[in-house]
Amino acid sequence: MSAAVAPAGMLAFPRLKSAGARRLVYGVLGLSAMLGIWEIGTLFLHLNPGTRTFTTFGPVPTFEAFPVLWGQGKIQSAVAASGYRLGIGLLIAIAFGVPIGILMGRSKRFRELSNSPFQLLRMISPLSWMPLAVIVFAAWNQAIIFLIAIASVWPVAFATAAGLAKVDPAWFKVARNLGARPMHMLTQVILPAITFDVLTGIRLALGVGWMVLVPAELLGVTSGLGYAIRDARETLSYNHLTAMVLVIGVIGYMLDGICVQLIKRYSWHHRGE
Amino acid sequence: MSTGAASAAAAPAGADASLRLLKSKGEGLFNFFAGLAILFAFWWVGVYFIAINPATAQFAGFGPIPAFRAVATLWEDGMIQRAAWASGYRMGAGLLIAIAIGVPIGILMGRSRTFREVSNSPFQLLRMISPLSWEPIAVIVFAGWDQAIIFLIAVASVWPVAFATAAGVAKVDPAWFKVARNLGAKPWHILTQIVVPAITLDILTGIRLALGVAWIVLVPAEFFGVTSGLGYTIEDARETLSYDHLMAMVLVIGAIGYLLDSIFVQLIKRYNWTRAA
Repeated sequence: MSAAVAPAGMLAFPRLKSAGARRLVYGVLGLSAMLGIWEIGTLFLHLNPGTRTFTTFGPVPTFEAFPVLWGQGKIQSAVAASGYRLGIGLLIAIAFGVPIGILMGRSKRFRELSNSPFQLLRMISPLSWMPLAVIVFAAWNQAIIFLIAIASVWPVAFATAAGLAKVDPAWFKVARNLGARPMHMLTQVILPAITFDVLTGIRLALGVGWMVLVPAELLGVTSGLGYAIRDARETLSYNHLTAMVLVIGVIGYMLDGICVQLIKRYSWHHRGE
Repeated sequence: MSTGAASAAAAPAGADASLRLLKSKGEGLFNFFAGLAILFAFWWVGVYFIAINPATAQFAGFGPIPAFRAVATLWEDGMIQRAAWASGYRMGAGLLIAIAIGVPIGILMGRSRTFREVSNSPFQLLRMISPLSWEPIAVIVFAGWDQAIIFLIAVASVWPVAFATAAGVAKVDPAWFKVARNLGAKPWHILTQIVVPAITLDILTGIRLALGVAWIVLVPAEFFGVTSGLGYTIEDARETLSYDHLMAMVLVIGAIGYLLDSIFVQLIKRYNWTRAA
């Protein structure tokens, strides 16, 4: 049914004057198509007696679960716990990644020497640090923050280094001729020039941190989005499970959208286009 | 002293390109090993301080020397090969599925504006669902754990492939399509003669990103249910408190990841036509 609606709509929408309205209509259309496919899939589960128990995976039971979970405060507490871990982990990653990236971008010696150890460390799947993190850190919370930080430090560092490499060397000469000290150079030339790239790195880091967060919370802790998923599975409340999966997607989408807006705001490379 | 002066004098005089290449290669090799040596030195010093403290002496197995010994033992036992084989199979199958689904979706996104705009919101939403949140659903839907893990890897890595492909198609000069159409190309020809060769580079970039993502997902996915693979080996080493095996496997994971990533970097260099001009 939704498939029949779509082609007819295609002809009408390009005529929409406002780009914002067009985007809104297409966004709603896309999400409805997704819900439609989801509902059709559930219908097949329902029609087969062997899989009827899984009908609660459908969109209707899922949306019915939202008020329940929200009323119990489960969504809010899970988001607060996970948000805290993700936020601290990302802050640590930025605090380490940006200086490392600046060093990589400014010193050829450091860049060449650090390349092989950093590439090796980068390609260690973050969750392999988990047993080590659990031993080193007293609390699970800290271990999870460490895992997020170690996963997201590399995108930040490499994006910062790439940003610095793009900076016109003449700027440094001009600044030096005008009497800039190293501190001025950092705050007046380097940081404004690479804000865009640092934000790009943070966006990538957010995606990676988000990927690491959920499995890290599946073990040990009793709070956060990962725990909520495990809890829903163990209590066989499939609609709570899909509701939490949707919450994870929506929050991730929002955080990613914020980063995209910030990147657009601080983009000076493409302003000419 | 005299040889140093001679080589320094010879290089500019001859301006020999191959000599310079050899020198830069030698420098690269030196940096590669010197960098790793510094890493291992830091590691050794860190664990040395742990080992001399009686309260934490039990963790001395985390050091680089026990880890390297454990790599040798694990290799002889065939543990590393078996784990790498099991994980490699899951990764390979997952990535192949991601490519098989992601490339057509990406081409569709790049070629059809309507599809791109309608699919944007659901795809962004699905992309930002942390892959491991699918785990409970995957376990119910798929009969075997192996298939569930392959599904998790595929669902995580399909997005980088699809978005990179779409970005590649969007960059293709529209004039090429016009020229091809004027020369009588059918849609199938346009796909195989223009679109695919033009976007190979972007697909490879996407696959490289997908590989990184799949590598992140693989290890936690293997923590549960299965009794093979790199993730399981880590979990197993932790439960048996064999810290040297643990560090050895962490090292193996890093080394394999580095190797796979480098292969894609080389492939990307090989198929890069944008800078050839």
